[in-house]
Amino acid sequence: MSRNSVRRFSILGCLSVACLLAQDLPLDSPNAVKFNLKADSPVALLSASMGESRATPRGAALVLDLHMALSLRNTTPNRIRGVVLRVVSQEVAVGGKASVSVPSLNVGPGEAFPIRIDLQLMRPTQVAGGPLVEVDLDGVLFQDFSFYGPDRLNSQRALTAWEMEAQRDREHFKHVLAQLGPEGLRQEMLGSLARQAERPQLDVRLVRRRAVSGVAVSSEHTAQFAFLKFPDSPVEPLEGWAELAGNEAHAPRIEVRNNSAKTVKYVEVAWLVSDQKGQQYVAASLPASNPGLYLPPGKTARVLQDSELHFTRNGEPVNIRQMAGFVSQVEFADGKVWVPNRQSLESAALLRVLAPSAEEQRLADLYRKKGLQPLVDELKKF
Amino acid sequence: MKHPSQATLALHAGGDLGPFARWRIDRHLADCDQCREEVAAFGDVRETMPELGEMPEVAWSRLAAEMQANIRLGLEAGECVRTGEAPLRRSLFTGVRAAVALASVAALLVTGLMIERPMPRTNLRNEGIVVQTIPNGIQVREGGQALQLMNAGAQHVTYSVGAQGSMRARFVDQETGNVTFNTVYVEE
Repeated sequence: MSRNSVRRFSILGCLSVACLLAQDLPLDSPNAVKFNLKADSPVALLSASMGESRATPRGAALVLDLHMALSLRNTTPNRIRGVVLRVVSQEVAVGGKASVSVPSLNVGPGEAFPIRIDLQLMRPTQVAGGPLVEVDLDGVLFQDFSFYGPDRLNSQRALTAWEMEAQRDREHFKHVLAQLGPEGLRQEMLGSLARQAERPQLDVRLVRRRAVSGVAVSSEHTAQFAFLKFPDSPVEPLEGWAELAGNEAHAPRIEVRNNSAKTVKYVEVAWLVSDQKGQQYVAASLPASNPGLYLPPGKTARVLQDSELHFTRNGEPVNIRQMAGFVSQVEFADGKVWVPNRQSLESAALLRVLAPSAEEQRLADLYRKKGLQPLVDELKKF
Repeated sequence: MKHPSQATLALHAGGDLGPFARWRIDRHLADCDQCREEVAAFGDVRETMPELGEMPEVAWSRLAAEMQANIRLGLEAGECVRTGEAPLRRSLFTGVRAAVALASVAALLVTGLMIERPMPRTNLRNEGIVVQTIPNGIQVREGGQALQLMNAGAQHVTYSVGAQGSMRARFVDQETGNVTFNTVYVEE
């Protein structure tokens, strides 16, 4: 074969390889992701690594795999307890909103902390230019419960509730340590890890229909909620129903009354379901549908949602036999948040069904990985 | 249950798997709602954006015949000009080389067709907006568009649903040790 022929085949080969490589493109940060942090932001972006982020054509769509490792720094004199980043892709019309939240932080002034975002987008191949994803700060909660941020995702309420639960559970473990010593704390951690491993989880698929809601199913029937009531709960559930059909439930509605002396602006009810064998699971949280809820003392309101929930476990439909509920979160008009105390959850045997708080999960993970002494040291930091 | 990869499901949705692989995935799909949804989602991509997959009409057989004829013509013209003299150098497109060149062109055309072939039109399914768990993450999707947050190798992931239209995955990030909540929302 002559030299020219070799050259021509080499060029053909290179073109072919280039065509193949063009199908899987690495993404670089400036064009793919835009970070929006205002000038008065309490955190500064130190670095943003895109790692193995790639764009891969798949049929008529483009699949974007974004793996971002961010490093942020606390630029305020306050300790940060939690951060919420809002992730938006304008070009994915419906699924264009997500968030990554990191509660249970303990970041001092000037200290840096990492946040990872692993995102996958499937979108049309041919769309207008601009960044694929925009990341902005939705909220930062400080140690004194002050808050910064536009709060478009109700981050203040979520971060405050998580911090209330964190304080509750840290106090519980500190109390165990003080009363029963390190061995008592070890037993408590082992119990927590066992509950986490054994806790039954349902696969829940939620459907929101654009046009016609509440599509009736022939086998559908109205089922009533049974309520667990906590003595210190500021809001009491009165009665509630949902439509059930096999492994589907929809249109839950619950009537609640404000028993406290303060005006309530948000109520969330935890929705539990039992299968045919009596096994209980957490189905969903049921927030008040009206974002402008205003519930003065002594007044009643209705918590309702127009969603369909489909329950499966290990790929098999789980038919619902019974439903229960309890008030899991209340926000007052002054911004304060109520969550159930640990004794209420224990007495109602809910600790076996509910997921542990974020802080309990973090502390149990710390114990599992590093042992008892680092856990004790961690508790002493708060 | 071990789930097939997203790429395999996408290939299956496009009918691009071999017979054995297709049989295996069909068996898995018969028992797995989650993967069936994935395949349906890939299918929806193809039907919601068919115009992106459409290619201008090209008569490939006629094009190939014309190319072959042109090559043949060129070879014959070369023979006429040669008039019994030994060529200074041998033509590139003769014998095995011509076959290899033609095979390469054909392979390139077939690959191009496979990658960018027109998408078949199927009936559009109007399921609404769905939030759900997927292997290693959570997803919100409608038709062929989807946004997913992945759990990045996390263990002991806790999923929770907000009946107003959100899904949350909570886990301890193995690298940072921080608890992370990933949430996807139905756009109102």
